[in-house]
Amino acid sequence: MTMTADASLARQPATAADDLVVSVRGLEKHFPIKEGALQRVVGQVRAVDGVSFDIRRGETVGLVGESGCGKTTLGRCVAALSDPTGGGIYFGLSAQHRDRLDALLAVPEARRGEAERRALAEIEAAHRIDRLQGNAWRNFRRNCQVVFQDSFASLNPRHLVKDIVGRPLEVYREASGTALTERVVELLEQVGLGRQHLYRYPHQFSGGQRQRISIARALALNPEFIVLDEPTSALDVSVQAQILNLLHDLQQQRNLAYLFITHNLSVVRHMADRIVVMYLGRVAEAGPTEAIFDRPEHPYTGALLAANPDLTDDLDGAMRTLEGSVPDPARPPQGCRFHTRCPVVTPACGWEVDDVVRWLADREAGFDRLSGVERKDAFEADLVFEDDAAVAKLSAALRSDAVPMAMREATEALEVRGRKLHVRFRRVSEVELTPRGPHHEAACVRSGPLPV
Amino acid sequence: MVDASLSRPPVRRAPVETAARVRLRRTLELTGRVLSDPTTVIGLVIIILMLAMALLAPVITTPNVPDPYQMPRDWGAVRMPPLTEGHLLGTTNNGGDVLYGVIWGARTSLYLSLLVVSITVVVGTIIGSIAGFLGGRFDNVLMRIVDVFLSIPELIFALAIAAVLGPSFANIVLALAVTFWVKYARIMRAQIIRVKQNDYVDAARVIGDSKLRIYFKDILPNSITPVMVQATMDMGHVVLVGATLAFIGLSEAGIAEWGVLVSEGQAGISSGRWWASTFPGLMVFLWALAFNLVGDGLRDALDPRTEGR
Amino acid sequence: MLTNLEEHDAIVRAPDVIASVRDLKIHFRGKRGMVHAVDGISFDIRDGETLGLVGETGCGKSVTARAFLRLVQTPPGVYAGGSITFRPRRVCDDCSGVGCRECDGTGRVAAHCPACGGKGCRTCGGTGEETVDLLSIPDAQMRALRGNRIAMIFQDPGKALNPGLTVRDQISEVFLQHRTAEILAAAGVSPNDVLLRRQASQKSRAFEKMLLAVPPLRSGRNRVDAALDTMVADALAQTQIPNPRKVMDRYPHELSGGMRQRVMIAQALACNPDLLIADEPTTALDVTVQARILELIRELQQRHKTAVLYISHDLSLVRRVCDRVMVMYAGRVAETATSQQLFRRPTHPYTRGLLGALPGRGAHRGRLAAIDGTVPELVDPPAACRFVGRCPDEVAACSRTDPPMVEIEPEHAAACFVHAPPGKAAATRPVRTP
Repeated sequence: MTMTADASLARQPATAADDLVVSVRGLEKHFPIKEGALQRVVGQVRAVDGVSFDIRRGETVGLVGESGCGKTTLGRCVAALSDPTGGGIYFGLSAQHRDRLDALLAVPEARRGEAERRALAEIEAAHRIDRLQGNAWRNFRRNCQVVFQDSFASLNPRHLVKDIVGRPLEVYREASGTALTERVVELLEQVGLGRQHLYRYPHQFSGGQRQRISIARALALNPEFIVLDEPTSALDVSVQAQILNLLHDLQQQRNLAYLFITHNLSVVRHMADRIVVMYLGRVAEAGPTEAIFDRPEHPYTGALLAANPDLTDDLDGAMRTLEGSVPDPARPPQGCRFHTRCPVVTPACGWEVDDVVRWLADREAGFDRLSGVERKDAFEADLVFEDDAAVAKLSAALRSDAVPMAMREATEALEVRGRKLHVRFRRVSEVELTPRGPHHEAACVRSGPLPV
Repeated sequence: MVDASLSRPPVRRAPVETAARVRLRRTLELTGRVLSDPTTVIGLVIIILMLAMALLAPVITTPNVPDPYQMPRDWGAVRMPPLTEGHLLGTTNNGGDVLYGVIWGARTSLYLSLLVVSITVVVGTIIGSIAGFLGGRFDNVLMRIVDVFLSIPELIFALAIAAVLGPSFANIVLALAVTFWVKYARIMRAQIIRVKQNDYVDAARVIGDSKLRIYFKDILPNSITPVMVQATMDMGHVVLVGATLAFIGLSEAGIAEWGVLVSEGQAGISSGRWWASTFPGLMVFLWALAFNLVGDGLRDALDPRTEGR
Repeated sequence: MLTNLEEHDAIVRAPDVIASVRDLKIHFRGKRGMVHAVDGISFDIRDGETLGLVGETGCGKSVTARAFLRLVQTPPGVYAGGSITFRPRRVCDDCSGVGCRECDGTGRVAAHCPACGGKGCRTCGGTGEETVDLLSIPDAQMRALRGNRIAMIFQDPGKALNPGLTVRDQISEVFLQHRTAEILAAAGVSPNDVLLRRQASQKSRAFEKMLLAVPPLRSGRNRVDAALDTMVADALAQTQIPNPRKVMDRYPHELSGGMRQRVMIAQALACNPDLLIADEPTTALDVTVQARILELIRELQQRHKTAVLYISHDLSLVRRVCDRVMVMYAGRVAETATSQQLFRRPTHPYTRGLLGALPGRGAHRGRLAAIDGTVPELVDPPAACRFVGRCPDEVAACSRTDPPMVEIEPEHAAACFVHAPPGKAAATRPVRTP
């Protein structure tokens, strides 16, 4: 079957020599938490906290994760709709430039020599999107477009379809008058609409049609790259299928690159060449779609896949689920951020004082006498209680199987000092992405396939 | 037999549409929606009658010379009841013709409300827009100023200003303008902050449109409706407060203004001379009511939550 | 109408049916005419089963669900015809709802028909069980059923919970409305104590509250409060909320989406209802949380043998969760079947279309079987299959008359002239009780 052959060919991961459209390096976006009348900054929500990946010409990168993992924030940064607080997004790097950049960035900032600094500044001036000026900036703007989730909110209700789709052409003075109208008709036809829709308002269309209008607008400037932020989440399945087909056809015709942001694993599996799985602002796993789905290396990916209902699932097998809820992104867990919910957690995953506090929060009365935590650092602290009994009770509980075994093993010190309980856990640094296969990386202390 | 509304995408007629025609149709549709509410229509009719009266004042009465806005005094016919010959609605203590006052009072009220509302809408919209669109420090400073203004009761504030500046019609306009702009700034800022979050604003940024054009094309048109509704209602409210100030005596005496007339007539009410106060008072009531009815109708018809859906 | 009555009798006699919808029509007054949101649908819900109601936006599934509790806004809504008969149970006397042998562990037993005292009469269709038409009973009776015999879980727990009340307040409300006697019994207070009874049914006035704060009466009040707290904590514990006593004092905004949905479930199941209506209960949740909530609903349902009407747009979820599935399209039933049958042998072209449109393991990129066109507007629709115009297998008959529901195999029926032709074989007959 030629169809199959085509499809599998298209899915082959592009080689490193291919040109890149977007390269994200160490991207951070922290939102300050402000409090009180003076709007004092009391903390940072680390929505995106050190993310790196590449998008090559003509490929689809799927960005998946649950709500609050930072995927939408990341998409907004890539589209230059919000300014990152750290790291950078580079547009249109060649493979050599990318390698050069990575080499330069690998050197810590303090140890960079004069030549290195100059070389870096040169690359940044030409490619980093928040440093682009004049024509380079306009070039980026034209080549990077966005399709939003809410098709109603993304179209100005007072504008006619012709004005909406023709607006990019007007802004760049590409066409006017009849020529503009004709270009708009052409674009509408490409997305399955037509001339009869020119003079209508967005509210006269169905959700799927409105999303087509959004896509037509995104295509108007003939971009290289489109950020698709949950483009089908608000649509019914039958309409979703139409839009997914359309996106695929357009990609084939125009060699578009997509950043496909979604929480729907079935959709991303269908659409993406490569997948980046995010959890709490960091990349948990990244790799080719088949590798991610067939051999997930990160337990979080495994949990996502297990929880995703599919028409081909085995109905007798219970849905595997995750305990607990996503921790506060203002105080992300140490080590691996997933260790608080991980089903295969080890002592090396970053057990910390906050784990004890979190554990206490879910306990019955008797433990709620915690009056304070005197932290030395994330891994060592004195827990102060109002009475001695609670201290003894907690100390015993932390030695019993009321807490995960891995947590007990990671405990280096546990002493009762009057009304204080001194705890110290093994010190662990943040878990980095490590290679797991061709173009496949995961941030997990374990190696080897996940136990089923 | 199959109804066109069912399932099959109906066959489109040949496209003879133009943007202008579609926009006209939409305007007509909105007008139709406004006019579908009987109370709005009643309000509109009253307003139209009032406006006609104000505009035709020089035709239906003989303007007083030299200043038609001054009440003519007929010292030979003081305290005449209504239906007296030559004084259909009677005269005041000072021989002022009540009918003349009612008709020219409409003109005064129209002046007053148009002046105050147009000044305050422009000022309020600009300040609210700056605060809402630019945000940050601008927002903080401007909104604190607004808070200060809001913390003083409207009527007392206007009264104080007018009292300090001395009794004159111009000072009433000034006093009302200074107190009324605050509301618009508030409304506009809230609207802009809400509208700014819509994805179509981001979509315009992605296209690369300039901030100013985004403001004028995307933000302002989608924020202005509540301001317009408020302005309509204030057309009535301004006259109400203006009449109050005039009643207390902060306007020039002898001017053809409803509040002044009510004040002039009030002394006679206890002696049974009800007409000098009642007719101008009724006019103030009708004026304020009519604009409120229309304002309410506009709000329902142009509600941003239902509009366009 | 004789046929209707016969039909009515037929369904109510079936012993395990707790609710049956017959020819339900709910219309909405629109600018351009009547919108037939639900247009003559019939189905049964059996005791203890999970019935899935699947369809896309605007197919009428949520309106149908809301009709069970008479929550459709009228106007613009109009109950244009049909009935929803429901058999409310009552709390088992032997175990007072805890679950015993007598009531098969469910805590609920059949209620006697008030017309005949259980002997069987015309009202109850001869079953002797209380049978009510949810669309015609008085408001007071409806209120007594809501949250008590029929409960509902909404899609967005953030919106369905009152942001100004603590979790304790929201759940105790259900008990105060429907379980006054139990509260008093648990508190060890005589049911004749007027003040406390009024407190335990949320009827206390301000001066009564003041009275109850006076020392001699206070202990009684405190006992009632403590009993209520225990009941609330138990309800929360059922949904596996860790540390329910702590969660009770929180406000909804302090809880995560999954926790909020648990609170909603606790509230819905507090009175051990006969029928739980779950309107897209996990759509607003993340997949990992969704899986847990689904498991929870299933587990609680099996324990209490509650019937569940599960509304969803997601076929792959329905396949996991439901015993039987009903596919709706444009206000009509397209197909009903057991889950297994539906996914093994989808019959109606719309069902097939839905299944084909799901991006899954087998589909090739860019070649998803999308259904062309859009859902028809339902303004005064003519007699015709609603799927006309989008259907790949359409024949002339489709746009002339309504296709009847025809049984293809036991439990499996579809409304399609092509794939379930009426009267094709002697064995196939129009089914009334799918």
